[in-house]
Amino acid sequence: MAEENALTSKQLLNELTAKHYEGALQAKAEGKPVAWATSICPDELLAAMDITTVYPENHAAAIGARKEAMKFIEQAEGDGYSSDICSYARVNMGYVDLKHADAQDIPMPDLIFSSTNICHTVLKWYENLAKKLHIPLILLDMPFNHTYEVSDNATKYIRGQLENAIRQLEDFTGHRMDYDKLAEKMDMNNATCEWWKKATDWGKVNPSPLNGFDMFNYMALIVCMRNSEDGHKLFKLWYEELKQKAEEGKGPWNSAEEKYRIIWDGIACWPHLSTTFKTLKKYGVNMVTSTYPSSWYKVYETNDLDGMARSYTGNYANRNLDFGEDLMSSLIKDFGVEGVLFHSNRSCKLMDFRCYEVQRRITDKMGIPSVIFDGDQTDPRVFSEAQYETRVQALVEMMEKNKELKRRGDLDV
Amino acid sequence: MYRDTIEKMAFNGLNPGKAIEETKASTGKDLVGVFPIRTPEEIVYAAGCVPVGMWGGRTELSLADRYLQSFCCSIMRTNLEYALRGVYNDVKAVIIPSFCDSMKCVIENWKLALPQIPTIALAYPQQRRLQAGLEFTVSEIKRVKHELELALHKIITNEQVEEAFSVYENYRKAMREFTTLAADHPDIITAKKRYLIMKAGSYMDKAVYTDMIREINEGLKEEAPSTFKGIRAIVTGIMVEPAEILDIFEENGIALVGDDLAIGSRLWRTPSRDEVEDVYLKMAYIIYDIEGDTFFFDPDKKKGSMLISMKDELKADCVIVMMIKFCDPEEYDYPIYKAELEEAGIPHLYLEVDEQMTGFEQHRTRIQSFSEMIL
Amino acid sequence: MFLGIDIGSSSTEAALISEDGKLLAVAVRNAGTGSRAYEEVVRDVLSEAGTTMDDVRYTVVTGYGRTLYKEADRQITEITCHAKGVRYLMGRVSTIVDIGGQDSKVIKLDEDGNVKNFLMNEKCAAGTGRFLEVMTRVLGCSLEDLSDMADRSTRFIPINNVCTVFAESEVISRLATGEAPEDVARGAHVAVAKRVMGMCSRVGYSPKVVMTGGVALNSNMVDALSQELGLPVEVPPHCQAVGAIGAAVAAMETYKKIMGEES
Repeated sequence: MAEENALTSKQLLNELTAKHYEGALQAKAEGKPVAWATSICPDELLAAMDITTVYPENHAAAIGARKEAMKFIEQAEGDGYSSDICSYARVNMGYVDLKHADAQDIPMPDLIFSSTNICHTVLKWYENLAKKLHIPLILLDMPFNHTYEVSDNATKYIRGQLENAIRQLEDFTGHRMDYDKLAEKMDMNNATCEWWKKATDWGKVNPSPLNGFDMFNYMALIVCMRNSEDGHKLFKLWYEELKQKAEEGKGPWNSAEEKYRIIWDGIACWPHLSTTFKTLKKYGVNMVTSTYPSSWYKVYETNDLDGMARSYTGNYANRNLDFGEDLMSSLIKDFGVEGVLFHSNRSCKLMDFRCYEVQRRITDKMGIPSVIFDGDQTDPRVFSEAQYETRVQALVEMMEKNKELKRRGDLDV
Repeated sequence: MYRDTIEKMAFNGLNPGKAIEETKASTGKDLVGVFPIRTPEEIVYAAGCVPVGMWGGRTELSLADRYLQSFCCSIMRTNLEYALRGVYNDVKAVIIPSFCDSMKCVIENWKLALPQIPTIALAYPQQRRLQAGLEFTVSEIKRVKHELELALHKIITNEQVEEAFSVYENYRKAMREFTTLAADHPDIITAKKRYLIMKAGSYMDKAVYTDMIREINEGLKEEAPSTFKGIRAIVTGIMVEPAEILDIFEENGIALVGDDLAIGSRLWRTPSRDEVEDVYLKMAYIIYDIEGDTFFFDPDKKKGSMLISMKDELKADCVIVMMIKFCDPEEYDYPIYKAELEEAGIPHLYLEVDEQMTGFEQHRTRIQSFSEMIL
Repeated sequence: MFLGIDIGSSSTEAALISEDGKLLAVAVRNAGTGSRAYEEVVRDVLSEAGTTMDDVRYTVVTGYGRTLYKEADRQITEITCHAKGVRYLMGRVSTIVDIGGQDSKVIKLDEDGNVKNFLMNEKCAAGTGRFLEVMTRVLGCSLEDLSDMADRSTRFIPINNVCTVFAESEVISRLATGEAPEDVARGAHVAVAKRVMGMCSRVGYSPKVVMTGGVALNSNMVDALSQELGLPVEVPPHCQAVGAIGAAVAAMETYKKIMGEES
């Protein structure tokens, strides 16, 4: 216990990540069922049924960060996958064929669990996985919310699917759902999400003790450990560390000062993580927040399946432009954001095809500058360092001008 | 003479603008724009309007860049371009279903691009075979009806919906017969004619259109058996565009004897259920019963086996894949049925297209090589 | 005699075959569609063989500009012609890779040398000779020198961008950070090879693999492709004129079929 307490949250993060994957490989070796699931799905159901779960998006990101993606991408493209589809999907389909990555191995699934609140893409991708591997697929279809709020009809439809998913899981495992255990998982999920939110909220402090690129790393565990004791412990520890840093007045980095505070919109460019990070840091630019903290804030009344449905279908990616504008605006206000860097991520059409309009609206409404750069979450070929740096420079120049105006009192923010 | 009707239909398929003008003039009805695919046109028809298909077209894209990057599919980009240019200023409402991530965003952008015209978004459930899904389909269709009532300022009665449904049932039945007959007469219903006749339906009043299709069907029944010696192909995809591709098919002796197109047979190949009484439920059951459609959840991924059995039934030689670039759902299906076609030893030609393309030399070479390979 | 002409996007070739199927003459000009190079190459092969058009029984034209040469008896695509040309020159071959100026293609053959399947690159220039051309501009060398330059590479530098425009700026920034032009040149070859490799695996490939087209003269490209495929890649004689030779073979076959002399 004493030893554990000595760990920093970063060490714990690495330890838990290793434990997550080793545990999954071990479970598979022991003949226990393994599910592959999407990144924001009600996996409380899986945990309550003792099904070990791994997340292909996390895995693809890890492969991308280790600069290993091309091998899998080329394999998938060889099978006929277009280079225009999501690179997480291409990496994952390639992995299904090759079955080994130096970055990390994962067990092959016995069950596919897919939730379309993050995109329609996972419906097709996971459909292909189930077909290719001849295994059952549980789909939770969460229609895009074109109205500002989640409609009652959609809630009812998703609730019906949650009930159906429970039946499918009972068929799959051969035993009944233990609703007490499900309630425990829901409780734990709620508690962990609160710590995730409270930790990421430290980005509001100026200077921010939170380095946004760290958040990218912690994100992997809010994906897979919301309903576990480990996840709960991690995010609480991270919160406490950030709290201490904030109280000591420490910024995001030891070696540089935070000069500008931005939102990075979209997923990281994993294969170019270090380049994208260092370029920002060079100019003193810190990503203080993004739309992701709220995306995994999945809090609802324990045992309330309607609440669960509303919460899971209500993340940013599944919401209309007016909601997007409001969320962005409140982030800008609450986190003292001075600029936005939009990642036009070739893999993620759902984010891309709204970002032009979101950009216009926040420029009009909040008066802060923003730029868009071309990249991709895992395909290293769709990124130009020269373009990226030029765009970042442009953003910095505009932010600096705003700062100057503000100093002169011309800008009312 | 039914051959004149064929020409008339092919003209309409090739000239949507003129066809729509004529429809408006001859019926005196208002127009409601319907995006691909499978919008519940019956509701629009019941309201006394003509639903007009919005399948993009060939134009220069510039205004659409305000909302969309270049890697968005050309149908969506073109529709937005047209909207911003005022091409749709005449329609009373636009209905857009969201079948992919691009469409979700286009709906959101559309509301801004065409603020004066009501945009009705529609989400069919992917879990259409669960009770909750079936109920959701019904609730969505009824919601579209209600929103249309608000947009048109008129009540749509259940009787009107029932009548419209029966017009559409007749249309679907006539189309099933047409595609069967067309397969027997590829020399009369050539690749281009077949496609354009099917497409013309998007721009005409379905009652008028159905009468013309029936006339063609009767004419074809009188014809002597075909002596067609060319290549009999099955085509799959959203559409076969631009039309130059069809000319190249014809130059190389390729006929389309069967189709799995979003603008074609996918619209009418699923029959309705006689035993179901309620018209909204009847419409929902068609969605329920759809098989092997790229845009509806299909864990068995039946498209490949459907293409293979279509190939056998129609004695076809090959499959042609018309891939509209940046269409994610179609692109995901391809590797799966590609492997199945290869396994079955069925040659297939993969053509990647977009509506804006103007150079056809590479495609000409591909198509000609493919026909050389088969003959 | 039988004449084959291949009018490509940047070069034009002709080949002449005798009554008994011997290759009599081959001509190549570095001008393609849009020029009148096809008249010149026809004149070249006829004079080399010491004959006139009157002795030519049948002519087949192929390539992008194939519809230009109206005097031909038949026009066939370069896919079919490459298959026939390679069969004629190399015997049994399973996979043909042709990297052209605008188009690259991978052709899969059956045991009898017929086209079983084929794939052409999509719009993007990344897997074509055009990509190498852009690289020569950045590196300030000729296309001929590019291969030798790459041979002198001592270190592998990946060029990651698929888009030619992006790749160009990537290469410029590599050079700006002091990377050796030789290593960058090699990187460019490997980048093209990777794209072509992707096409190969999409259509399926197996030995023997033969590379045709003008880019096959570039030994570094052949080597890069061979490494990507993990198989030896052979280059036929007259690699630039394989399409024209195939067209001449097609002319002979068609003529014999018409005359009922089919063997």
